[in-house]
Amino acid sequence: MSVAAPARILRSARIPRSAGITRLRREGAIAPITAFVVFFLVYVIINPELLTRFQLQTAANLVVPLALVALGQLLIVLVGGIDISIGAIMSLCNVVFATQLEIVPVPVAILLAVGVGLACGLFNGLLVAYGGLPAIAVTLASAFIFGSIAREVLDRPGGGITKAIYLATSGELLPYLPVSLVWLSVVAVLLWLLLQRTALGRHIYGVGSNMESVRAAGLNARLTKLLAFGLSGMITSVGAMMLAASTVTGDPRSGDAYLLSSIAAVALAGAAFTGGRGSIIGTVLAACTLGLIGNLLFFAGINSYWQYVISALIIFVVVGLPVVWGRITFALKGRRS
Amino acid sequence: MTSSTVPASQSPAGAPSGKPLGSASVRQLGSRIPRSTWPLIAFVVLFVIGGLIRPNLITIDSLVGTATFAIILAIASFGQTIAVIQAGIDLSVPNTIAFSALAFLGLVAPFGPVGAFAAALLTGAVIGLLNGVVISKLGLTPIVTTIAMNGLLFGAILLVFNFSELTAIPESLLAITSAKISLLGVETAAVLPLGLVLMGVLQLVLSFTGWGRSLFVVGSAAEVARLGGLPVDRIRIGGYVLSGVLAAFAGVVIVGYYQQASATMGASYLLSSVAAVVVGGASIFGGRGSVVGTVGGALVLAQVSTLVAVLNLGANIQQLIYGVIILLVISLYGRRNSA
Repeated sequence: MSVAAPARILRSARIPRSAGITRLRREGAIAPITAFVVFFLVYVIINPELLTRFQLQTAANLVVPLALVALGQLLIVLVGGIDISIGAIMSLCNVVFATQLEIVPVPVAILLAVGVGLACGLFNGLLVAYGGLPAIAVTLASAFIFGSIAREVLDRPGGGITKAIYLATSGELLPYLPVSLVWLSVVAVLLWLLLQRTALGRHIYGVGSNMESVRAAGLNARLTKLLAFGLSGMITSVGAMMLAASTVTGDPRSGDAYLLSSIAAVALAGAAFTGGRGSIIGTVLAACTLGLIGNLLFFAGINSYWQYVISALIIFVVVGLPVVWGRITFALKGRRS
Repeated sequence: MTSSTVPASQSPAGAPSGKPLGSASVRQLGSRIPRSTWPLIAFVVLFVIGGLIRPNLITIDSLVGTATFAIILAIASFGQTIAVIQAGIDLSVPNTIAFSALAFLGLVAPFGPVGAFAAALLTGAVIGLLNGVVISKLGLTPIVTTIAMNGLLFGAILLVFNFSELTAIPESLLAITSAKISLLGVETAAVLPLGLVLMGVLQLVLSFTGWGRSLFVVGSAAEVARLGGLPVDRIRIGGYVLSGVLAAFAGVVIVGYYQQASATMGASYLLSSVAAVVVGGASIFGGRGSVVGTVGGALVLAQVSTLVAVLNLGANIQQLIYGVIILLVISLYGRRNSA
């Protein structure tokens, strides 16, 4: 189902064939999807072992937290903001989940972690939507605040994550089907349904692309922004729990690295940082591409430090190429393409 | 709902009318004070509060200690200030710092301290040039461009440098950073006057040169500047080059002061450089900011960390207070002036 789920998105989008492709193009998803396909082919050619059970599972556990956090970042970017605190939210949910597992039953711990993610998102959202403050500055402040609370909850790696939790999030559901991909698919499909098939979803896209029109149409733009922030916090908390479970530890600094990489994934997905444009499938595949570069280099026998350089070059090329291409066609045809 | 959704900034004339006359004139007086002095006033208040809690904190030594800590953060944030003024942001500051510091140490042996220093600044200029060209010519957002550049530099740092060899720090660098010097009878690390001189020079460039003024114009209204005939792309690229050079300078200063270098030595400056700029009164949307303000912002943050250390509250609480201060500052003047 994991592979089927994203494929289903593609297929259902393709039924009115031109409309689906047009939508993907409008959302900027063509470039990251192409980049992922090329990347995946190169990967399988260099390392056919990827398609063995163990490696598939390891690779899935590696990319799923990043993909989830990137989806959280995408929601904020869609409403025209950016979340600098997303790494701190992730750290906080991670340690809350890990420490609460020692005290309360698993479902309660999950609810608490999601609740904390929601609260963090709403805190940012209230200040941005109702306080009229810039998202980048608000989340810079909350990055300090949430990060400090996370280290207050748990000051060094630890917590009560058990083998059973590892298996439930990072094991295999069926042979060749890592559970983590199933969870990612569930979140991604639900989010896709929400964004494409509900009024709230259309409002989220609307707020990002034209705040004034949305407001003039009598929609509650502030509430939409607030909900987007809250939803983003919840999705980030799922990513945090997946990370805690797959590493079998809670770590108050585990989210730090995800701040920059979540923004990078959203950028690679072709989302517009002014808001209103960005696709779920593009974001998930962009996160997979960025998350697996290190692995690919390892199997290709190249110094894995090159992954940082190559990730950056992929972003510059994939995001920059359409701009250059547009300039060239503009120069050739003498009109805007 | 209709009345509550109108941002307060859209009714500039209406606001003071309901207030007593005295409050309006106080506000008028307040608005005449340059924004960059507010963080300095806040610092003095915090300094006095510290003195009320622990009287032995009101000493020149305590002041110099806090100021030294602040000036290092300020030097690391000068480049960020330039980037923010022109409506950008430079998230490649951390690894520009690390790259230039390591490049300096690596090149000291073949080229000597001066040559290595020039080379380190040159790497900063090249990094800034690449940032500026990608942002203004390719049209990528500053955040994405500089994050990607930061990642690229991290890879380059790990690939290029042999860390075990980079331990010897030349005497001449120590002499201008960590060496104790006596200034007007006050014992201080050499980095403090160095940073203050740099602040003065930069503030003069920003306030009194045409290029410096044009940075503010590009930052507040790029389209207007373009229509007005300013070479916006060139100004913007120049801004990023200066930002890169200043971050590289910070790298050399930091390696001289702390006398150690590592691949992650710049990591803590990712958020704190932006924090110093924001607390210093710059607008995150561009067009407003000053290096004097940034020094003030850094002083406030440094004084908080002094107080936290004296009261034994722990580093976590310090970060929490940083967050609260940033929230306070942006709620005072962080709103977008024009919708």
